[in-house]
Amino acid sequence: MENKKLVEVKNLRTYFFVEATDKQITEHTENFDEKLNALYAGDKYLKGKVPAKAVDGVSFDIFEGEVLGIVGESGSGKSVTAYSITRLIPDPPGKIVGGEVIFKGKDLLKLSFDEMKDYRGKEIAMIFQEPMTSLNPVMKIGDQIIEVLLKHEKISKEEAFKKAVNMLEQVGIPAAEKRMKDYPHQFSGGMRQRVMIAMALSCHPALLIADEPTTALDVTIQAQIIELMLRLKKERKEAAILLITHNLGVVAETCDRVIVMYGGKIQEVADADSIFENPLHPYTEGLMSSLPDPDKPKQLLQAIPGIIPHILELPKGCKFATRCTKVFDKCWETEPDLIEKGKSHFVRCHLHG
Amino acid sequence: MILQVVPGGPLEMEIMRIRMGGAMGEGPSSTSSSSGISIPESAMEEIKKFYGFDKPIYERYIVWVGNLFKLNLGKSYVYAEPVWDVITSRFPVSIYFGMISFLLTYLVCIPLGVYKAVKNGSTFDIISSAIVFIGYSIPGFALGAFLLVMFGGGSFLDWFPLGGFRSNDYDTLSSVDKIKDQIHHTVLPVISYVISGFATLTILTKNSVIENLSQDYIRTAFSKGISEKRVIFYHALRNSLIPIATGLGHFLGILVAGSFLIETVFNIDGIGLLGYKSIVQRDYPVVMGLLVINTLLLLVGNIISDIIYAIVDPRIRFK
Repeated sequence: MENKKLVEVKNLRTYFFVEATDKQITEHTENFDEKLNALYAGDKYLKGKVPAKAVDGVSFDIFEGEVLGIVGESGSGKSVTAYSITRLIPDPPGKIVGGEVIFKGKDLLKLSFDEMKDYRGKEIAMIFQEPMTSLNPVMKIGDQIIEVLLKHEKISKEEAFKKAVNMLEQVGIPAAEKRMKDYPHQFSGGMRQRVMIAMALSCHPALLIADEPTTALDVTIQAQIIELMLRLKKERKEAAILLITHNLGVVAETCDRVIVMYGGKIQEVADADSIFENPLHPYTEGLMSSLPDPDKPKQLLQAIPGIIPHILELPKGCKFATRCTKVFDKCWETEPDLIEKGKSHFVRCHLHG
Repeated sequence: MILQVVPGGPLEMEIMRIRMGGAMGEGPSSTSSSSGISIPESAMEEIKKFYGFDKPIYERYIVWVGNLFKLNLGKSYVYAEPVWDVITSRFPVSIYFGMISFLLTYLVCIPLGVYKAVKNGSTFDIISSAIVFIGYSIPGFALGAFLLVMFGGGSFLDWFPLGGFRSNDYDTLSSVDKIKDQIHHTVLPVISYVISGFATLTILTKNSVIENLSQDYIRTAFSKGISEKRVIFYHALRNSLIPIATGLGHFLGILVAGSFLIETVFNIDGIGLLGYKSIVQRDYPVVMGLLVINTLLLLVGNIISDIIYAIVDPRIRFK
């Protein structure tokens, strides 16, 4: 693995401002720092709302050429982290209230919308979870791919058309030239995801963010889709992929490093191998043991007890305390720091403090 | 049907006229009526025959439908002209106002709706919503009457003429003055025409755009690095136009239907005023003719709507 940093995410905080009960308002607004106070003073829309800390102080790096996975349950903040990088958080209600996202030496969070446009699609491309709704239903497939090419590359319409056909062929769509004129509803889910990938890869981005790209697809197609994504790296060696998933099987197969998120915070970071062989955080352990083991049939599936608490009701100390099997007094009082345990293996847990 | 039953039809009118005449001259006496003036039985029959009332209603209806297939709408009682000519001579006026209202409504409402969707919840959004809803709740003819009093040279301001489609001396004016005169006569009626139409279309556009802006494909479009303008006006608006386009066909009906009351208030000799007069004067052939034409336009409008629907939404295609 190369060690050059492609993206540096520093102390990223993305909050969603939601309406809340009076009790929640007093609880969640008393510990405001200067920045939040200033934010509330300057925006009357925020009145009566409290920040739901979807991503709260997340820092990580993406190295060139690596596949970085973010895993976690629904609501753990993994998708919000990814959308914050390309600044696709819907505002309102969401706001990136702090942190930096350094991409090739530039802080993306400080760019204007116009400057950001040149990064989206060209340098950072995205694939989404729902292929059925992620394409514009009234635009031809071909036009949607050509649109990206014309935006970012100085080529003529004819060249863009040829390139789009070529992209569709590469992702395995038969009779690509004919299908350029088809509309999304004429494609199946798997085919649409292929189109999404063709679109995302058409400008050879330096970073591909894939937000649960296989979740909505048949198991049989999942492997093909993952393989198509990895094709990016064959063409551009230094390109990196940020893969958001809750499918640990996909992580094991594709990722070099894994970030485990819970309650809007990183709980554990390590190489994919160490995560699977030596999970340190009880939450990671829980995730691992929830994987069915084919060698032991008829065994009951292990599940992490309980569900993720409402984002406004996360515990004060360790975010996982309410569901942890090894919880002790200290966990409720103070939140552990993310500390290094072994070579580039970080964990946020008092057991390892 | 209802119209046929309501008293005051041409028969009674004719009788009335004869009675008036009879009252002055010397009415030959035979059948006497309550007022004491009498009409001879034979004359009564003749009048009935002239209007075709000697036959029972179903027979008249069958004859009328038969004529309809021969594209013959009959003759107007009042104008003594073929109904078709009576109606078509009013078309240009109604189409003129219809077109202007139509264009004005769409040109104002769609951009306004999009802007309100983008600025959802802002002061501008709230105020404009209030304005269009106030407009929605004002009946056009009432506003028309109010505008005439205010600006029509009544008790307050004399900015616009009291009514009519054009000035009486229109034909003698130079072409520039003709246009001026036409606009001068158009402003107040058009305001009355469109005032209530704004709300529906504006709010429809706004809600449609808001709904589409929260769709996944909009996020995809942004992630491709496309400008916000293009995302809103190309991706979102195109999808938002689907429900709006469906209403386009129905506008064909409104285009020529005019408005009974607004045309009456402004004394504009269009389809609306014609319909109003015809009902008052019990000019059955004209009323029926208008009904036929309106129904036909509605049907054609429906077909046009379906065709437009299929054009804007690729998911719906005719085989």
